[in-house]
Amino acid sequence: MQFEHLIASAIMLTTPILLAAMGGLINRRAGIVNIGLEAKMLAGAFVAVIVSSATGSWIIASLAAALAGAAIGWLFSLSITRAGANMIVAGLGLNILVAGVLGFILSWVYRSSGTLRLPDVALLPKILPSGLEFVPLVGPALAMLDPLTLLAWMTTGALPFVLASTRIGLWIRATGNASEMARSVGLQHLTIQDFTTACAGFFSGLAGAHLALVSLGLFNEGLTSGRGFIALAAFYFGRDRPITTAFACMLFGALEAAQIRLQLEGLPPKLIGTLPYVMVLIALVVVSIQAQRKSST
Amino acid sequence: MKAMKLLSKSTIALCAATAVLADERPAALIIAQGGLGDASWNDTAYAGFQSGLEKTGITGRPIESPDVVAQGEEIMRRAADGGFGLVISLEWIHGEPMEALAKDYSDTSWVIMNQTREGDNVASVVFGEHEGSYLAGALAAQVTTDTSIRGINEEAVVGVIGGFKAPGIDKFIVGFIQGAEAINPDIEVIVAYADSFGDPAKGAQMANAMFDDGADIVYQVAGGTGIGIIEAAKARGHYAIGVDNDQDGLAPGNVLTSMVKRVDVAVDQIVTNYAADTFPGGEVMNFGLAENGVALSPMTHTRDIIPASYVEKVEAMKAQIIAGDIDVWDVSNEGYPDFFK
Repeated sequence: MQFEHLIASAIMLTTPILLAAMGGLINRRAGIVNIGLEAKMLAGAFVAVIVSSATGSWIIASLAAALAGAAIGWLFSLSITRAGANMIVAGLGLNILVAGVLGFILSWVYRSSGTLRLPDVALLPKILPSGLEFVPLVGPALAMLDPLTLLAWMTTGALPFVLASTRIGLWIRATGNASEMARSVGLQHLTIQDFTTACAGFFSGLAGAHLALVSLGLFNEGLTSGRGFIALAAFYFGRDRPITTAFACMLFGALEAAQIRLQLEGLPPKLIGTLPYVMVLIALVVVSIQAQRKSST
Repeated sequence: MKAMKLLSKSTIALCAATAVLADERPAALIIAQGGLGDASWNDTAYAGFQSGLEKTGITGRPIESPDVVAQGEEIMRRAADGGFGLVISLEWIHGEPMEALAKDYSDTSWVIMNQTREGDNVASVVFGEHEGSYLAGALAAQVTTDTSIRGINEEAVVGVIGGFKAPGIDKFIVGFIQGAEAINPDIEVIVAYADSFGDPAKGAQMANAMFDDGADIVYQVAGGTGIGIIEAAKARGHYAIGVDNDQDGLAPGNVLTSMVKRVDVAVDQIVTNYAADTFPGGEVMNFGLAENGVALSPMTHTRDIIPASYVEKVEAMKAQIIAGDIDVWDVSNEGYPDFFK
């Protein structure tokens, strides 16, 4: 087992979780817990494959996926902010609705069940020259670096500054922490919430595009496999802080990569398969204990 | 209500009429999860059903339901009440309720797939997946050391990825290992489980991990997860082996072969038996290599890139298995062998 490949694989598996988590984090900062990340990822993956096949361009495909996610996110947000839907129930409903609609389109338009396979799907390019593969330790990871992974980490790096020091960041935090106050100073807090949910959709759509276009080039109804919920756990674990959340995402990505390879070393697959979920549980327990301690002192 | 009664009466009359014609009541094929149009299990079975009906002159129709799992018992009961004399279910979950229902509907003939169920009017269909997998293993073991073939390294390492660790899946895996070791006793077969039948992203990562470890051919026994395995083989320029259907065309030239389960042959055979009044109630129908129930794909895209002698060797082994000279281990009947725990 080569450690270099493990690192490369971990980084690649982290990207979709990280993108969705960053979107969900912005959303939660504005006061909306977004259970529907999974749905937007799935829709993003679907749109990405169709557009990539039609245009042959990964950029247009990724952008279309992001916009599809944002549009779904915005509509979803309206149901919460304007129609007063419960955000958890609406989120669960969205996940079921999107999976159902995509399944319907698959069988109705494409006469296929479960998998959409189109010709000439353009995959994400590798940014750096493949000669870097021979750099020790991080070589394969560098050689495999794709633009969406880069974007995910750039977003992670920029987000603390955006949230802390820009006007829009302040508005978002004000809306989430004290929506009455925000309203009293004239902020349109519902519009800000809608904007952040669209943001969550935008990034989840990109996450879906990454899942579909990084190596597979096809859509499958099981493509997201709960990664939207892992992203949710990540920003809960990271307490809505971008950098801590990114670490949580990396932990999940590394566990997933290790799970694949540990098994080849002879560990029982069922046990390894439960690891990410056990980690989520432990993480949530730790976070809530810490929160309790804080409130009691 | 009256209209309904009238309608059902006329349906019965219609059924009676066709029954006189073909001397049998009509047949029903209950479609499993995934539905018609899956280009896989259901569609293949339906093709066999149609050809069986055409040959025998029996009438019949497929029954689809959006909730085929939870509504299983209800669907089967209605089929039996509706005058169908032969009810074939393609849904694995229907095994247990069918066993119970068959007692109440003793003049209906019942068929279940991939498992063995009790009852004088129940026929169980099982496939010889271990035999087909043996041939796949034997082919892979010959190819994996032939560096004259594009994408093959000199290491005697092949891989197999299962959906879950379960006897039904290990039946494939053990057959594959046994076939590979029959060619090369020193071959290393890397075994892993995806813990999912529907996660292609994970399948691709697992296949890549195996390619990193020196494998150049990976056998997928993992349903939708396997689609990712095939894509990974294509991306890396190595080989996958398909399962259940002829998946060679999913990545032409990168799917070495597919271990095909001929559910169409099985369904066709059952309809024919039913029409001829030789329905094998209470029996287990085994569709192995001898019955053409399992087979390797015709290798449309790969036949020309590997030496013909490899395929001939596999054909010879197939003849030996059919003749009983090679005994392939069947995990579903015999439990686990010493070489695979």
